[in-house]
Amino acid sequence: MHAFLKSSAMAAAIIAGLGSAPAWADNLVLWVNAPLASGPDAPLYAELKAFEAASGHTVELQAVPHMEMERNLFVAMSGGAGPDVMALDIAWVAGLADAGLLKDITTQSQPIAAQFQPGPLASGRYKGKQYSLPLYTNNVALIVNNKMLADAGIANAPTNWGELSAAAIAMTDTGKGTYGISFGANRMGAFQIYPFIWQAGGEIIDEAGKSHVGDPEAIAAIDFLAKLYTEHKAMPDSVLTAGNWDEVHAPFVQERAGMVVSGDWAISAIKKNAPNLDFSIHPLPKGKEAATVIGGYNLAIREGSASPDAAFQLINWLTTERSIELMGKYNRLSATLAATTPEAISKLPEEMQPFMAQAGAGHPRPVVASWSQMHGDVFGVMWDSVIRGTPAADAMAKANTQVEELLAQ
Amino acid sequence: MTTRTRETMKLKPHWSSIFENGTGARLYPYLMVMPAILIAIGVVVYPVVSGISSAFFDVTLRTLNSGNMPFVGMRNFEKVFADPNFVRASINTLIWVVLNVVAQLGLGLALALLLHRIVPGIGFFRSGMLVPWVVPSVVAVLTWRWMYDPSVGVANEILVRLGVINDYHPWLGDTATALYAVTVESIWKGTPFVMLLLLAALQLVPKSILEAASMDGASGWRKLWYVIMPQIRVSFAIAAVLTFILTVNNFNAIWLMTEGGPLSSSEILFTLAYKYGFQRFDLGMASAVATMLFVGLVIATTVYLKLIQAKEAD
Amino acid sequence: MSTYPMTDEIGRARSSPQLKRRLMPKSVRMALLYVGLWCAFIWCVFPFYWMIATSLRPKEEMFARPPSLVPQSITLQNYVDLLVGAEFWRFALNSLILTASVTIISVLLAVTAGYAMARHRFRGSVALPLFMLYGQMFPPVLLLIPFYIQLRFLGWLDSLYGLIPVYLSYMLPLCVWLMRGFFAQVPHSLEDAARMDGCTRWQAFWRVILPMARPGIVAVATWVMIHTWNEFLYASTFILSDKNRTLPLGLSGLIGQYTTDWGMLMAGGVLTAAPILLIFFFLQKHLVAGVGGGAVKG
Repeated sequence: MHAFLKSSAMAAAIIAGLGSAPAWADNLVLWVNAPLASGPDAPLYAELKAFEAASGHTVELQAVPHMEMERNLFVAMSGGAGPDVMALDIAWVAGLADAGLLKDITTQSQPIAAQFQPGPLASGRYKGKQYSLPLYTNNVALIVNNKMLADAGIANAPTNWGELSAAAIAMTDTGKGTYGISFGANRMGAFQIYPFIWQAGGEIIDEAGKSHVGDPEAIAAIDFLAKLYTEHKAMPDSVLTAGNWDEVHAPFVQERAGMVVSGDWAISAIKKNAPNLDFSIHPLPKGKEAATVIGGYNLAIREGSASPDAAFQLINWLTTERSIELMGKYNRLSATLAATTPEAISKLPEEMQPFMAQAGAGHPRPVVASWSQMHGDVFGVMWDSVIRGTPAADAMAKANTQVEELLAQ
Repeated sequence: MTTRTRETMKLKPHWSSIFENGTGARLYPYLMVMPAILIAIGVVVYPVVSGISSAFFDVTLRTLNSGNMPFVGMRNFEKVFADPNFVRASINTLIWVVLNVVAQLGLGLALALLLHRIVPGIGFFRSGMLVPWVVPSVVAVLTWRWMYDPSVGVANEILVRLGVINDYHPWLGDTATALYAVTVESIWKGTPFVMLLLLAALQLVPKSILEAASMDGASGWRKLWYVIMPQIRVSFAIAAVLTFILTVNNFNAIWLMTEGGPLSSSEILFTLAYKYGFQRFDLGMASAVATMLFVGLVIATTVYLKLIQAKEAD
Repeated sequence: MSTYPMTDEIGRARSSPQLKRRLMPKSVRMALLYVGLWCAFIWCVFPFYWMIATSLRPKEEMFARPPSLVPQSITLQNYVDLLVGAEFWRFALNSLILTASVTIISVLLAVTAGYAMARHRFRGSVALPLFMLYGQMFPPVLLLIPFYIQLRFLGWLDSLYGLIPVYLSYMLPLCVWLMRGFFAQVPHSLEDAARMDGCTRWQAFWRVILPMARPGIVAVATWVMIHTWNEFLYASTFILSDKNRTLPLGLSGLIGQYTTDWGMLMAGGVLTAAPILLIFFFLQKHLVAGVGGGAVKG
């Protein structure tokens, strides 16, 4: 099968070679996550028209749903094909780069690197080389139901762990069926707990590639969060199942949970489903320090793309100066440094401002090749077992061993 | 004499008479199966062979890209056996398959018998029972997930109102109930197909046989077992085999509801293979699991069909 | 034995006039039959009803607790949003073309192959069907990459016609098996009688046996139709451009990256399922033994 694969890949390469367009006006295939190209009038189409007019290249846009993006990229790239430019969840960059599927753009991106916020830029860097540039960024904050907070007799939204825990417990009322804070299960929950590890002064994997998952700070963070459910019953049962953001938001939208840790996508969801809910958005409470987790999408070039230069022009076009305006049309946050200036922030819709304002406290998740697996198989499972009663120290010790094994591979 | 002349007279003008004797007659069955076989070879053999052979190579994202996939013998299988989830997934697969196959065949037969008779409005009922099958699988699964939800699930609300439970239960989040909750969805989704097959088979049961049995005063159960079942046994056996295969390879239900969780409580071999292949990007390990599944299915089906054939020969 | 309640009576009620006098009056038996039918109907249809109800609710009612079984107010906005754009119709047309081609091809091939396997002894007539079935047993997800390589080699990626052979690989073995089973059930005597009347083998098959097996053909066609219409995994991997998308791909596009508009998704699901349900409503009378059943005496 080995030879078979090889020969068919070779044949495929010949076909692809014959089919490629002349170099002076390249045709680029661009894969983006579906929400960015949700209809014929999506802002991205106009933006690409402008790019085509300015550069002379043509761009073929293909929208891939987030759920299928990773698998489709894998299948296409295993078959020796794939888009020229692709939008990647920042958590996938390391795995693809490690396999040699992404083009190294370190040199080309050098002149514009200073235009980006450091956190999102770092999410596209693997083993010292830049493989992708940030298309948009996001992070999570604390969303609070003002009325429930006031009813619980608390004046201000929590700013540190002690206040968070106190507020959550105060808002919990078994008789009325209300809870303090809504949280996710498995991978969803894992994404929400990372900032707490950093807040505690802990780390997941440091720059040198060493695991700190078993450190006391990390354990303290997990213990703090898990006890809100296991001991104080301040989280609704959805913490056992919620595997998507709608399920995480549901208790909050129903005004059964007074707080939720979520990102800018929560705003429209809450407004749509509970138009009368009075809520406010605050930076995540501080532990030893302030921290949040960075998410978002990056743009990368496929190794082996027939027109890498045009591809980089496209990435440059979409990620730099014009990105504030373009992402503004989608109600998302640009990852450029220019977007973090007070003037730029003040131009954002009011509810978006807290997110951009705390962007500086954002940490990227570890950029290691097996991150997808660590996130699901290690941290997701760890969180699932901790909320079902496993002591945090035991679960984290086990997670630490698993992370070390994965890092050693 | 008369018959033969009539035959030859009628035969001559029709093109298909070349299949009546000689080479034509011998080729006839081959010509009829040929197109199906060609397609099967063209689009089944290569992918399956290449899928199985990946199990013996180191096929990961890294090696795929470099084009250098070393032969590793049984190492992928060893790695799979060393994974504690594998045992759990094997046991769950067994539970999953037995529950699904038994329930789908039983309910399918019951529904087919129920829908068999022509009464006013039967078209409405027949179409209605087909609904689970017709709903696009992704949407169906997400609907069930929504119905099971501990915050807004209508299944919880109904059970609370019926007095079965006191409070909303996280069906998919409880390690004790997750697998069974998914099984219920899968039975709901799979039964109509069995029902349809058996319904079609029931239509071919000669009425005279049923009438004769009734006149002998056979009771309903006896008639079902001794008269109807032997008549539809081929279709029933086929339905059993197909349900078996479709259940083992049913992916959407578990993946979209629980992803095999929580804590592997609903992991089956198929979801495990998917995790290896498309989350860890280790196609070697994924193919090892798939190959084991494949071999298991092949053995089980072959044995079952042989048993049926032996029974038929009696 | 004789006093088994429901199933007994329903089973009995089916055919024989002789038994009318036994045990229960006809009206009671009919009532029981309808009770059974309604129970089964509710079980099968409730989740679909829930989809419809969700698709009609205004957004602010979506997360109401407790959920109300009947929407308190109704909006058709989701359906309007879906149907007004050109996209939905293009997806539907693609699905229609694909489904029609796959259904016709596989039914034709399955009917002839199934018949030959059921009726004729030839070399491989025992092993072949088993061999075909084996092809169905490998987990489809792991065939993605080999298929992708094949399609790319042929230049058939991102095309509807490229999906046809892929779907056939997935549908055909099953169809052949089903048809083989149905043909095995058609009595030999019928064919013999036709041959006696002077039909050629082909004519006997085409004119006599095929109409007899109509319920089976309808069952097989329904199977292919439903599975092609709803197939998602292969389509989502091999179809890239917007213009070739099928309905299930359109549906998955409605599932958001962070949050999903459930009302819209459910409306899409209902709209996708509706045509097939309608078609089946008209097809189902062919499931009835028009020619079958009573045609064969003894």
